Amino acid sequence: MSRFGIPLRRVATLLFVVAALASTVVVAQYQKKPPDFGGSYSFPTPTHPEPRDTWVRALDVAMLAGGLGVAAWLILKRRTRNGVVLLSVATIAYFGFYRRGCICPIGSIQNVTASLVDPHYLMSFGVIAFFFLPLAAALLVGRVFCGGVCPLGAVQDLVLVKPVQVPERLDRALRWLPYVYLVLAVIFAGWGLHGTWFGWHVNIGRRFIICEWDPFISLFRISGSFQMLTLGGSFILLGMFVGRPYCRWLCPYGGLLAIGSRVSWRNVSITPDREVDCGLCANACPFGAIEHHRAHRGNCVGCARCYESCPFEVERRGGPSAEVQLAKVMRP
Amino acid sequence: MDERSSRRQFIDRASRVLGFVTIGGAAGVLAKRASANSVYQVDPLRCTSCDLCRTSCVLSLSAVKAVNDFARCGYCQLCPAYMDVTSQPDATGIPTGRVCPQDALKRRVVGTVDKDDPNNNYYEYTVDETRCDGCGKCVKACLPPAGNGSLRLEIRYDRCVECNECAIQLACPDRAILRVEVPGLPPRSAGQAHE
Repeated sequence: MSRFGIPLRRVATLLFVVAALASTVVVAQYQKKPPDFGGSYSFPTPTHPEPRDTWVRALDVAMLAGGLGVAAWLILKRRTRNGVVLLSVATIAYFGFYRRGCICPIGSIQNVTASLVDPHYLMSFGVIAFFFLPLAAALLVGRVFCGGVCPLGAVQDLVLVKPVQVPERLDRALRWLPYVYLVLAVIFAGWGLHGTWFGWHVNIGRRFIICEWDPFISLFRISGSFQMLTLGGSFILLGMFVGRPYCRWLCPYGGLLAIGSRVSWRNVSITPDREVDCGLCANACPFGAIEHHRAHRGNCVGCARCYESCPFEVERRGGPSAEVQLAKVMRP
Repeated sequence: MDERSSRRQFIDRASRVLGFVTIGGAAGVLAKRASANSVYQVDPLRCTSCDLCRTSCVLSLSAVKAVNDFARCGYCQLCPAYMDVTSQPDATGIPTGRVCPQDALKRRVVGTVDKDDPNNNYYEYTVDETRCDGCGKCVKACLPPAGNGSLRLEIRYDRCVECNECAIQLACPDRAILRVEVPGLPPRSAGQAHE
């Protein structure tokens, strides 16, 4: 027992604790506290670029909604090809180069799948709007999204210089591909591919294959891996002669929109009251979407080329009368 | 209007209504679990610097970069994140190898310079963001006890295109990519240790 009535063992313990605390302070000093350098050095703050403001992100949705409205007006009401071309250029500038192809409704299929399958996966309201707005528009006014708002479609539409008609049977068969692609994309986005088939062990995690194999994204970002640039280049080359190869035969979102467009409230309609069955519109359509002198409700993407070729439309816009034009074309 | 045409119209209208109901319902269900004002960020405590941020980002030079938290950095002369401590030392005993494959970690002497004893100097380490590809080798090397853990990986919003994909979120094996509220500071940020 010591003089102050504290057991020696307790003093030793206390000393040990104090020493331990002191040593941690020393270690903490060494590890955590910034040293004193002397001189006139001031600590730099780590830069931290802030994300875009909420209103800037809301602008994407506003641009999409506005674009859909303008596209519907230009295609169905004004029936002007020039207007659609202008809108296409604008959409490539904004959704393509400025937003670098993101976010896009085609890719949002996978977000919706991932969000439904995986509760950990969070997405923003913007992506939800991007998935549902064009679908709702398709139910109302057809595939106006494809016609003027989708940057991928716009790129293909603008590079189309010399359209070649694809044999109808081939076209019909290839139009099933988007749905195959859609199923694949949903499987990969939600679950990945795991299993053994025919002795092949496949173990692929969840991936967003639509984004990975988007042929035009490398164009918008002006960068990309070699195979992506090659893919983009070949799609553009092909697209110069075959109308919108990606939209017609691959785009899974186009497949969804086609279903909606089939029952839509309004569609591209080929002057049903004034018809002479001249077939000029069918020749002008690079997508084989005019059957029996009527626009196919699912396949028409609203490029408005048929209106530009129609003698009655030319007359309506102040050109020579339809009879004169038809006489020129019909002359043997 | 003949019977066939009106039947067709009825089917169209019914499908349209069905379509709108489906779209509205699905959007409602999804909106419940969506977040309005959040962005992706790396949680430094979960991140294991696995190198997938470098390879998985949709950008060819990843939007994920290493960031040095100066308040935490020890300004060491022998920085384990800067020089490869396992490499061959030179005549003065300083390892010659570098950790960063891109040579993106830069250092300079700060404070009062002791010319006689280089070991007595302090060095400031900055990440050259034009070179950093987010591989996280320095982050791994800076982890305690070797370093202070001042380096961390962070999604840089000046590069991030906020795409709907966020491929690194899907690829991340540690679920270290989280949605955080704007302004998108890392959750449980290592930098707040001092404040």
